[in-house]
Amino acid sequence: MIGALMVICGGVKAAERAKYPEWKGAWERWIPQVSVVSPSGLRTPGGQPSFDQTKPWARGQEAPLTAEYQKVLEDSIADQASGGQGNNFDRARCMPTGMPHMMTFGPLEFVVTPETTYILIRTQVRRIFTDGRDWPKEIEPSYAGYSIGRWIDEDGDGHYDVLEAETRGFKGPRVYDASGLPLHFDNQSIFKERIYRDKTDPRIIHDEVTVIDHALTRPWTVDKRYVRDSNRHPDWRESSCIEGSDLVAIGKEMYILRADGLLMPAKKDQPPPDLRYFKHDTK
Amino acid sequence: MTRNDAEIGVVPTSGAAVITGRTTMRCSGSIGVVAFSAALLVKIASATAHDETKYPDLRGQWTAIGGSVRYVPDKPRGLGQEAPLTPEYQAIFEANLKDMAEGGQGTDPTTWCLSPGMPRVTNGYGEMEFVITPETFHILVFHVFDSRRIFTDGRDFPTDVDPSFLGISIGRWIDTKGDGHYDVLEVETRNMKGPRAFDASGLPLHADNQTIVKERYTFDKNDPDVISNEVTVFDHALTRPWIVTKRYRRSRNPHPWWIEDNCMENNYHIRIQGEPYFLSAEGMIMPAKKGQRPPDLRYFNQPPK
Repeated sequence: MIGALMVICGGVKAAERAKYPEWKGAWERWIPQVSVVSPSGLRTPGGQPSFDQTKPWARGQEAPLTAEYQKVLEDSIADQASGGQGNNFDRARCMPTGMPHMMTFGPLEFVVTPETTYILIRTQVRRIFTDGRDWPKEIEPSYAGYSIGRWIDEDGDGHYDVLEAETRGFKGPRVYDASGLPLHFDNQSIFKERIYRDKTDPRIIHDEVTVIDHALTRPWTVDKRYVRDSNRHPDWRESSCIEGSDLVAIGKEMYILRADGLLMPAKKDQPPPDLRYFKHDTK
Repeated sequence: MTRNDAEIGVVPTSGAAVITGRTTMRCSGSIGVVAFSAALLVKIASATAHDETKYPDLRGQWTAIGGSVRYVPDKPRGLGQEAPLTPEYQAIFEANLKDMAEGGQGTDPTTWCLSPGMPRVTNGYGEMEFVITPETFHILVFHVFDSRRIFTDGRDFPTDVDPSFLGISIGRWIDTKGDGHYDVLEVETRNMKGPRAFDASGLPLHADNQTIVKERYTFDKNDPDVISNEVTVFDHALTRPWIVTKRYRRSRNPHPWWIEDNCMENNYHIRIQGEPYFLSAEGMIMPAKKGQRPPDLRYFNQPPK
């Protein structure tokens, strides 16, 4: 009898587990039909991969920025045009991308457990806690933020099909894309997401993201899509920002390392680094 | 994805148990009904869901016992590790220690925020989380690039994948006691690239990157908050396979904090022309070693300030 009850209880646990969706595999960034090859070799609607995947990066995103933050974007673009990194400086020196930029690149892996849904993105991990917890009184700020979610059975068939998540608790600066399209420097961003598998094409997962941020004139909602890699054993490539990077940040200046290892300016007339600390040591 | 219509409601004739697929249930009724229900649920569950009861419950946050700074946690750093190095690699190691004593970084690649790679990530940097799926044993660590996938789906080692610092890891679960529960995970890792070191002292692995790492994770039901990991390294820098046991302890905090440890944040090391330098608090370049020359600035038009 006890054995049978254990089997029942184990079976109930398994049955409960079976309510969660199957989102296994590698999910790559969706690319629109009309696309171009960016200078980095990636297919995009224009420029580097973008937050709104249907539109080119930077100004092409038509982000509803305040006048103040539209200027931040324009200054960033101008700086990049002259060889600098603009508002994307921290990404260029391999700081974490954080939200929302971390959701731009693939492959993503979703690992669903009853307590947590993990989104594994190259070197970064998002945890969306679905164990019913409340928001902590204090959140240690991070680039990925702190995410709480809940599963919803929208069609009432006894299976969860939508994950709703809210993310808060950020540090920065963070950007939407490599143009330096900015989020507010106050880091008060809130992200609300609805993640679900496409009902007509199961090869697609949607992540409807609504950004609430003081750099915006209104909440900005975008439907990000990811396409399942059909390879049974996806290539979880080890992608390291720092490896092969020829950029060196010294203070607030970014320089370039030549192939021979020597330092060179990234911008016209860029001053060399201050060597005051070498005065007593140079021969 | 299959559907379990039967899980919505199973109403035995005695009215004893209504199993709704929710977490609450009533277990009562005749033995026959119970047995029937058990058989039905087992069939349904096995057809559609991962039987997690076979696997150890590893939920929670784990940290390395003895810390993560040294490869052999209970021996002193550096030469105290008594690594079975060949004479050639012992010389490389000692030269590295001398460089570090003079302010350099020796042969430790993580100074530049490269992945520690295998086997060094078994030292257990930061807070670890183990997540088990039927196909993969995930070890999630936010450190440099430490998170691992150990594939347990029966695949062979691929022959056409680029080498990486972490390599490719394939594992298999073993039920050593025959009680229906896995208590050992055996893992083999190959296909690595370098440079890699065993720990922050720069204890080197061979530059040929032919390392093979074998691990044996043991999960003891009598001590569920400790995991043992017997790590065996086969490497041409060693005179023999090197076996070291690492142990990890679980915190029972139901909501542990997962620290976002960013290597580049507050990293004051840079490298120019192969030479290590420091950045001062104000962001200015400083020598790392006594008498170190400044970087060559021949490509700058303006004289230094």
